[in-house]
Amino acid sequence: MTMPALDVSGLTKTFSGFPAVRDVSFSVPAGSITGFLGPNGAGKTTTLRMALGIIRPDAGSAKLFGQPPTLRALDRVGFLPEERGVYRKMTAEQVIALFARLKGVPAAEARRRAAAALERFGLAASAGKKVKELSKGMAQKVQIIAAIIHEPDFIILDEPFSGLDPVNQAMLEDVILEQAAAGRTILFSTHVMAQAERICDRIVLMARGQKIFDGKVDEALAVVPRLVTIGVDSDDDISALLSRFGEVTRLEKDVDGVTLWQVALAAGIDPQHVLRACVEAGVRLTRFEPVRPHLHDAFVRLVSASDPLQPVEGQ
Amino acid sequence: MRAIYLIARREYLSYVATWGFWLSLASVPLFMLIGASIPALVQSAQPVRHYVIIDETNTGLDDVIQASIERERREQTRAALEAAAAVSADAATRERALAAFDADPLGLDGLDDALEILGMQGSADMIAAGTGRLIRLDAPARTLEGLRPYLLGERQVATPDGPRSLFAAVFISQEAGSDLPLINYYSTNVTEQSLSGAARRALRDHVREQALAERGLDPAEIRELSSLEPEIRNFNPATVDDSEVGAADWAPFIVAIVLAIMLWTAIFSVANMLLTSLIEEKGGKIIELLLSTVRVRDLLVGKLLGVAAVSFTLFAVWGLIGTTVMLLAGTFLQGIDPELAGLIGEAVQPGLFLAALGYFMVGYLMYGAIFLALGSLCETLHDAQTLMSPLILVLMLPLMILVFAMRSIDSVAVQIVSWVPIWTPFIMIARLPSDPPLWEIAGTTAVMLLTLFLVLWGAASVFQQGALGHANADSVKRIFSRKKPVRDEE
Repeated sequence: MTMPALDVSGLTKTFSGFPAVRDVSFSVPAGSITGFLGPNGAGKTTTLRMALGIIRPDAGSAKLFGQPPTLRALDRVGFLPEERGVYRKMTAEQVIALFARLKGVPAAEARRRAAAALERFGLAASAGKKVKELSKGMAQKVQIIAAIIHEPDFIILDEPFSGLDPVNQAMLEDVILEQAAAGRTILFSTHVMAQAERICDRIVLMARGQKIFDGKVDEALAVVPRLVTIGVDSDDDISALLSRFGEVTRLEKDVDGVTLWQVALAAGIDPQHVLRACVEAGVRLTRFEPVRPHLHDAFVRLVSASDPLQPVEGQ
Repeated sequence: MRAIYLIARREYLSYVATWGFWLSLASVPLFMLIGASIPALVQSAQPVRHYVIIDETNTGLDDVIQASIERERREQTRAALEAAAAVSADAATRERALAAFDADPLGLDGLDDALEILGMQGSADMIAAGTGRLIRLDAPARTLEGLRPYLLGERQVATPDGPRSLFAAVFISQEAGSDLPLINYYSTNVTEQSLSGAARRALRDHVREQALAERGLDPAEIRELSSLEPEIRNFNPATVDDSEVGAADWAPFIVAIVLAIMLWTAIFSVANMLLTSLIEEKGGKIIELLLSTVRVRDLLVGKLLGVAAVSFTLFAVWGLIGTTVMLLAGTFLQGIDPELAGLIGEAVQPGLFLAALGYFMVGYLMYGAIFLALGSLCETLHDAQTLMSPLILVLMLPLMILVFAMRSIDSVAVQIVSWVPIWTPFIMIARLPSDPPLWEIAGTTAVMLLTLFLVLWGAASVFQQGALGHANADSVKRIFSRKKPVRDEE
């Protein structure tokens, strides 16, 4: 079995008596794109900092490629922190080359890679400009390049989409997919569910310092009941017919005066079963719309269900 | 090591690329040049001052003062001429020039001839500066009320240079029942005392000579008595050749005090550079990215070494300029004043400068690490100033001690404070020329190095907390106010 890129076990960290992270364990399989999701204050950043050895856990351990997060292991990691910046008085090329060299790339190769990356990201003309002279979007690209310039095996992105305009968000999404296609492992934290759902193979969900879900995206979606919306051209009560398939709700009529019903399907029920039952019962359908569940719904449901944490006694 | 080198290199290059660095580089030699030139500039820029003497005793005391002023002026001019001749002429030409000057034994009529012999025509004003710029005029009035408008600049008096205000009026009177004359000196310039001093000296000598003459001594005897002065020889029993204590012996003490003050200034400036750069870095949110690549100690050490390299570059350039100037000055002074040239040689002791370098390094690392740690807790320079105020007071104390202890550098109080490790660099460098016991040097150095280690260790811990926002300026304030901590991490 391939060694996971990251394996954290029982990670716990408390700040001034408040548990920021409590007994968190999960693995990031090599070659996967893993979303590290959770609301603000869930403990994602603290977990990532412990995973990278930036701060020491109170309990538990983190292993990168099967070993503690030593500088040697960190050379194989590219990290884009949530609070990011670069040296504003250095040129774009110098910044990228500096971070490449800090990760062990030889000087000449660092400069060559910096020039090539800037070319690829459409910043070749700005290579010699100081970062403070670049637009915000251009500076963000420089930061992203600096995080991956040393061609790491494992890329950790903390809230990479925050603060990016839609164009740069799309660009970053492409970069993530491209890096994954090249065989690299990606772990990124976010609370933008749409992106996570589009990109991730699997997710780890945090809430109030604890892990509340760890698995494939489909598994996460499975916790949310699928919905079917039905429009009927009459005021007849069909709740008895529909209740066999799940929880039934009568909605407000739509603008055309059509009566709307919604069925939250019970486990194992296929929308086709509902459709067949309606047809057989002679219900005059004007609308039949299975609604695909989204990660956002799973996220809200899982977070709502998690227990709030209490301050640790004695700290 | 790679990370430390790269961080240090980046720090170094980021400073060297700034205007501030080049200004600092140029400013010290420039200020030294200005500082060295100031006395000469002030002297040569002295305005011509016109004064009057009103002798209410009518005993010729005004002429006594005038004669004394002219004599002093002549002596100063002769000394300046001699110094200029020593640099610009051979021995024979010097002799001829001085002989030409002495052709007028009471005045300056021989000056032009002397300067011509030296090939320095047109330098008369420069050579005859000083008291030569005091010019006595005929009084336009005999009373203070009559002279007041001239002294206040409301009226002007005719002078060879055109109408001018009066600089001073000297009234000589004699109070009833006293044999001694009284000088009342009036001038709106209360700081310039050369004229009143000259008047006082002239009348003091005059009344003494008169008193002696009245006791039956002839002028030759009076001159002989006036010139009597005991000889005092200072010796240091520690010197092996029993030679007399001279300027060369105390020069290292002065140099050491100056070095201590320079050390203080350098450390304070450089630590401030570190603080500013760190706060800028925190503002730019670069720290976390760096900490995912390098360890916090590497980052701290890299930054300290980078800025240390900047300081050493500055010192190297200043040292090179200083050495060149010293060598040139030594060669130059050898002809004029061999004693002064020797003094420079004695003052420049390589051991003292090496020790200063060592103390600078330790002091810089200690204060730099403290500044970095405190800087990591601050988001803005304003925050930093609040936290730095107590530290700056601590830094100021050795400077104050040095100022007060200049005359007794080896007093018990100074010996005690040299054991305070954060003051050791400044106090010990000042004490070194007084040859403190070896055990004291070793002991203070050991305590200082141990403290340096503890400071670096503590600073790294604070830096780690502060850099990642787990602690801030409020955390420090809470320690002192004992408030309940608040949650500051997600």
